[in-house]
Order: sequence, then C-alpha cells, then structure tokens
Amino acid sequence: MAGPAVAVKDLVKVFGEVRAVDGISLAVDAGEIYGLLGPNGAGKTTTLRILAGLLAPTAGRAVVAGIDVAAAPRAAKLRLGFLTGTTGLYARLTGREVLTYFGRLHGLRGAPLARRVDALCDALALGPLIDRRCEALSSGGKQRISIARAVLHDPQILILDEPTAGLDVLASRFLRDFVRAERARGKAVIFSTHYLAEAELLCDRIGLLYRGRLLREGTPAALRAERSAVSLEEAFLGLVEELEAVAPAAPPSTGGQAR
Amino acid sequence: MKAEHVALVYAKELRETLRDRRTIIVMVLFPLVVYPLLSILAAQVLASKEAKQEARPSRVSIGGPDADTADIRRAIESTPHTLILVPSAAGGRAQVVAGTLDALVEVRPGVRAPDGGAGTASVDIVFDGAREESQRARDRLNDALGQARPVGCEPRFTMADQSVAPRAKMGGYVLSKILPLAVILMVVLGAFYPAIDVTAGERERGTLETILSSPIDRFDLMTGKVLAVATLATLSGVLNLASLSVTLLKGLALTGAGTALTIPWGRALATLIVIVPASFQFASLLVAVGSIARSFKEAQNLLTPVYFLCFMPAMVAALGEYPLAGLPALVPGVNVTLLARDLMLAKLHPGTAAVVLGSTLLYGGLCLALATRLYDSERLLYAADDAGSFGGWLQRLLGRGGGAAPVPASPADDAARAAALFGIGYALLYFVFLPLQKASFARGLLISQWVGLLGMVWLYARLSARRLRDVLRFHMPTARDVAGALLVGLSAWVVLAFLVEWVFPAPQEVVDRLRDMVTPRDGSRSLVINLFLIAVTPAICEEALFRGPILRGLAARFAPATAAVLTGILFGLFHMDLWRLVPTSLLGVLLSWVALASGTIVPAMIVHLMNNGVLVTVSQLGGDDRLSKLSTPAQAALFVAALGVLTAGVLLLRGSRSARNVAEPTREL
Repeated sequence: MAGPAVAVKDLVKVFGEVRAVDGISLAVDAGEIYGLLGPNGAGKTTTLRILAGLLAPTAGRAVVAGIDVAAAPRAAKLRLGFLTGTTGLYARLTGREVLTYFGRLHGLRGAPLARRVDALCDALALGPLIDRRCEALSSGGKQRISIARAVLHDPQILILDEPTAGLDVLASRFLRDFVRAERARGKAVIFSTHYLAEAELLCDRIGLLYRGRLLREGTPAALRAERSAVSLEEAFLGLVEELEAVAPAAPPSTGGQAR
Repeated sequence: MKAEHVALVYAKELRETLRDRRTIIVMVLFPLVVYPLLSILAAQVLASKEAKQEARPSRVSIGGPDADTADIRRAIESTPHTLILVPSAAGGRAQVVAGTLDALVEVRPGVRAPDGGAGTASVDIVFDGAREESQRARDRLNDALGQARPVGCEPRFTMADQSVAPRAKMGGYVLSKILPLAVILMVVLGAFYPAIDVTAGERERGTLETILSSPIDRFDLMTGKVLAVATLATLSGVLNLASLSVTLLKGLALTGAGTALTIPWGRALATLIVIVPASFQFASLLVAVGSIARSFKEAQNLLTPVYFLCFMPAMVAALGEYPLAGLPALVPGVNVTLLARDLMLAKLHPGTAAVVLGSTLLYGGLCLALATRLYDSERLLYAADDAGSFGGWLQRLLGRGGGAAPVPASPADDAARAAALFGIGYALLYFVFLPLQKASFARGLLISQWVGLLGMVWLYARLSARRLRDVLRFHMPTARDVAGALLVGLSAWVVLAFLVEWVFPAPQEVVDRLRDMVTPRDGSRSLVINLFLIAVTPAICEEALFRGPILRGLAARFAPATAAVLTGILFGLFHMDLWRLVPTSLLGVLLSWVALASGTIVPAMIVHLMNNGVLVTVSQLGGDDRLSKLSTPAQAALFVAALGVLTAGVLLLRGSRSARNVAEPTREL
C-alpha cells in the first residue's frame, strides 16, 4: 500500500451552526498507533465517524487504504475495523452468532469463517464466552467479543473510538496489549481517548484536538518537550490556555454534540 | 412509609413526564382527536352505505300459478321504489344463488277446502342469506306481503323465509364481516413493536454504529429489516386468521346460531395472498416511520398515530361495503381489506386482485425506499435537535442541501403548541360546537366560530403575552397580495370542485346534504345572512386559528412546505367530513401557502372569503346544478380557465414575496 494507511486532508464537518471538525489534516502509517486526544466536543468522534463512513464530510477528504471514504464507503469499510466503547453487540445473540453475522457481511463464509472465529476465540481467550448471549457477559467480556467483531475480517486499519470507556483496569490493559499486537502485525490504528495517560502509554504519535481543530501533532515526548511539561496533560492544558487567551471560547453551544 | 418522599417522587415523576410534550400529545390530545374522528368517519360511511342500499330497488320474481299469485303480485307492484318484479323463469333459486335475482317468492297452492273454497297457500321467500342485497329484498318482501294480509281475517297464505346459501358460503359471509378488518389490524399490530425494535431499538442498544460501519448497503439493510418485520406481521395475521375463524364459527355453533355454517378453509387460506403483501406494505411503512425516531419512546409516539392511520381505511372499507373496483382497488388499506372480504365471499376477480396486490407491493416498495433514505446515520448519530429536526431531515430526504429554512417565528410559536391548539379545538368542535350547530345551525355556527375559535386564539395570545395581531401576523397586505388573493379566491373552488368530481366523487346524498346546509330549501336564510355565516365568519375565525398560531407554530419547526401541508391536513380533518377531507385539505394547503408567501394572514382571509362567498352565491342561485350538467368539453374548458386564473394569482403572490424582504418591518393595519 503506497502512502499512509489513513489520510485526512482539510476535513470539515458542520452540524447546523456548529463546526464540529474545522479543517483537520493528519496521516497515519501502517504499523503506527495514532492517538486523537481532546476533551468532550473536541471533534474526535466526528472525525472517526467520517473515517468509518458514518458521516459525510462537509468539506475535505478522508482516505483509508487509498480509498476516499465518501466516494466509495463500502470499499473503505471492507478495509477497516471500527470499535466503540459501547461495544455495539446484539444482546439477544450469542458471541458466535454475532461474529458469524458480521463475518458474513464482510464476505466470509463456511469453513474459513468458522476457522477465523475459532482463531479469535484462542487469541482473545473468549473460551466459553463465545456461546453465551451477549446480554449475559460482563463489560470486559462484551469488549472482547466486540474486538473480535472488529478484527474478524483482518482489516488493515483499526478505528477505535474511546474503546476503554467503562472498562476496568484489567480489561483496559487487555485492550492495550491487543492494540500493540495489531501494530506489530503492521496494522494502522487510530485511537481516540480523553485519558491522556492512556494515550501516552500506547500511542506512537498523538494529535491534540480542541474545538474541532488540530492544535499540535507529534510523539508524546516531543509534545511534552515543546511545552517543557512533565506530562502530556500539562502540555495540553498549556496549549489550551494559550489558545483561550487569543480566542476565548464562545458560551457553551446548544448546538450539535456528536455522540 | 414517608409520605413526604412519596409526594416528592410523585411530583418529580409527574413534572418530568408532563414536560415531554410528545407524551402529552399522544396521551391526551391524540385520543381527543382520534375517537371523534373515527366515530364521525364510521357514521358517515354507514349513512352513505345505508342511503345507497335504500336507493337500490330489489329485483324479485314470483313462482307459482297465476291465480294464487295475484295478491302477491299486486302487493309487490304497489312498491315500485323498493321492489322490481321481473318475469319469472325457470331456475329462480339458481338465479338467487348466482346473484342475478335478489329474492324469489315461491307460492304453493293451498289444499282446497271441503266446501270448495281456496285453501291457505304457503309462500316461501327464497333469498341468499350470504348476500346483503338479498337479505334486504327478503325484508322488503316481508313488509310488502305482510301488508297484503288483512289484519283480523283468515290469511290467504302463510309466509316463511328460506335461505338458499350453502353452509360454506354462509361461513364465508360471516367471516367476511369480521375477519378482513381484524386480520389487517393484527397485521399492523404484529408489525408495530418489531418495527420499533429494528429501528429505534438498534440505536438505543448502541448497535447502530456497528452495523452502519459494516460493508452493507443501506437498502440491503433496510430490506432485511422490513422483511423480518413483515414475516412477524404475516405470522400475526395468519395466527389471528386461523384462530378467529375457528373461534367465531365454533362460538356461533355453540349458541345455536351457527349450525348452518362451516368454515370455508379454502377461502380462509386464500386470504393469505392478501396477508403477505399487506404485511410487507405495513411493515415498510412502520419501519420508515420508526427510522425517524431516535428513541424507543419517540418511535412509540410516532407509530401510534400511524397505527390509527392504517386502521381508518380498513375500517372505512369494512363498514362501507364498497365494491372492489376503480379507486378503492388503489387506496392503501382499503384495497387489501376489500380483497380479503371478496376472497372470503369467493368473489375474486383476478384482474382486480392483481391491481390490489400490485399496488400494495408498490406502496410497500415506496415505503421501503423511504425507509432507506430515512435510516440516515447523519441524522441518527447527531444529537442536536436543530440539525436533526424533521424539517432538516425532510430537506435531505428531498435531496436539497439547503432549501427553505423554517420561517423565523416568535419563540412562543412551536409545533407542540400548534398541535395542542388543534387538539383542543377539535375536542371542542366535537363535544360542544357540533351539538350547538345541530340545535341551531346559524346560532351554533356563530358561537362556535366567534366565541370558540377566535376566543381560543385570543386566549392563546393572552397566555403567551402577545398582541392578537402579532399572533395572527395581521399586517396590511400589498396591492399585489390583494390582487393575487382575489384571483386565487375566485378560481380555487372551481379547480378543486372539478378535481374532486373527477378523482374523489362524493355520493349524491352528501352533495345534497351540503347544499341544504349552505342554502336551505325553505329559503329561511337570505343570501346576505348566508354570506356572513358561511363566508365572512370562517374567513376570519377559521383563518385566525389555522393560519395563525397553528401554521406559525408548525412553520417554526418545519420547512414552510411541510408546515403548509400539515396545516392543510389539520384544516381538512377539522371539517369532520370524510367526503370533503381531500378538497378541504387541499384548500387548507393553499390558504397556508398564501399566508406564508405573503407574510400576512389577510390574503388568506381574502381567499377564504372569496372561495366560500362564491360557492354560497352560486349555490343560492342554483348555479352548481348547472355546473355539474355541463358537457365534458365545457367542464374541461372551465377547469383550464380557472387553473389559469389560479396560476396568475399564485404567481402574483409568489412575486410579492420575493419583492419584499420578509424581515422588513411590515405595515400594520
């Protein structure tokens, strides 16, 4: 694959009178974990939803695996796995039924699909969870099934929207280990969170988002060094204060908050 | 138990629930509107059916020696309006069964008495118990022949009824009275919760993003959902069909009333061909509406009115006993109910059945296409009300990125208040105004309109702390507005009258009733009084309510075109007349458009005044009769001319709007 696995160029998304994403450009290479960081309403989820083909950009382009998502959403979706903190599982189906359903939507069937499900059961230690109804699983169990669902078709790109939200320490660690393993397999991972410490632990590069704009981009170490900060949080707060001094934020909008 | 805590929780729960306006509308206003509407609909349909059946004379014949039938013949011939005597022929009973004859009077001579006098003859009235016309013929014959038997004297003949309907036909007839409506209702009910589950439920469970980020076309996704809902609806319909058939007929047999009935399983099975496409149609409709909703509760609120909308045509069809031909074969809900009935009665016409099934599948397909467009991640994943509004969504649905924005409105105007005003007005109309008008038309109408409708608007203005003229947008119109309104008012009634006569003709008795209301035959109201009652009064009072807070409230929420259409439909419903629903709604849409286009209510009042005024004048002068007797080319010429005048009026009003800045302060009267 020539060029970056994910490329976003001058991306804009307007909801009513709210510019949720305001001219973001970034690129993520294969074998890289890129963290999108920012407070609620910064534009992280909207950016990821555009990349996942759920929202159409108002302006700009989002390209995954060389495919313009807006122009060919189906082809793009075949090459990416999308995971959110809500897990998005059908409560009345078993884990195996969920995986079979999404596997078939991705074009897998028969013995190859069964083998892939079994392989994921081993890799993610799903064990007996796989044949239980999803409604009966713990948050960690649901998230494991959900990870299996997202990587079932072995996508080149993983888009993870706050995947650790609501997970306990062990489950969060499991997820981070899994993401690192995917990076080692050459996958591009774009990962949003508002836990700065988690991003620092996991990401190769980080993009700091605020009010729909990309404030800074770089490795965690470079971002800290730029602000002479001891932590990413301190660096981020310094940047925000600087920005607020120049252009104070408008009163909280009643307009769009993507969720 | 701590009473204070109970009271606190009670007050909090009530406050929270009552702040959800949609809950209030569905819980309170909806029943206030729906039940009166259903009762009026049922009464009008039944009255129309009764009048039609009464107007049709029964074809009867007599079998037996002439000498013994002379009295009977005379009795029948004395009631030419209700009974037509056709010459007797062989196979009279077969004709009754076939439906070419409504009833047959079979006379058997009595045994001569020993003194040589004529014995008592016996008369059998042979009819088909599975056919309404035949039952009516039996009743009419019983009345006519009963009068031919002198009271207190030895009767010259005895009478007995004899149905020739086979048991299976009777079974089919009984089932046809109840099953079609019940099955259609069960199909809709069977689709109700599954439709919510696959649309709003998907969002509430958090699976929406997962499925929409999968490589599946939205059409495929929605087709799968609709087919799943349709399957469940079909199952519901089939189970109800089987259970109702057995229960009904066995229940009747237990009471002794159904000993002459058998379940026509073949016909009941044939009804399946209606259930499957009907399930698809209703499932598509409910899924499409469910796709708008962003929560389970919102979906319930939206689908409840839709359920009743599905119920109404089925009820009209079941009560009205319309023949399945022409327009009824194309009206959704009506057509499937009538086809189910005809299948029960074994009266299937393959061509008509194909039209019904084809149109039903077509409507289902259109609803599916709509559902596909509505299941829009842009809207469903976006939380804010403004961008996710129905109006904004409708713009996207119509493929317009920008489109007309909702009309700037006072913050006091909103759709919920408009709906509440309509609901209150509708309830008042049904429970207060109509009884008043029944007691005394003129006095009742004046009170209803000036005190009721105008009073409501005045009260609304007071409660929202605004001037009445601000609530009404009562501003001086431009000369161009007035000219446009005059042209529209002069021509709209002609265009609407012809459209209705060609597309949706009302029964003659409805036309006569309306004419009597407008211009009583006894000449008790002069033209001037009539004009004040039927033209001036509604032009001010109805316009004040509908083109005032209702239209403005809806326009604050929806795009202008949507607001005009919704207001027009509410205006049509407010007239509580099934046959006038379409023309009145169309007039309501036009009046709403005029008010929005001109930015003031005055031109709409002028149009309403002109429209009703011309109608009253033409009716009083007997011109409406002459109009309907015109030749087809003359009617077409008149229609085209009126359409031309209407178009000129519309263009004037449209130009007027573009020439004036809507935000510019308008001149007040």
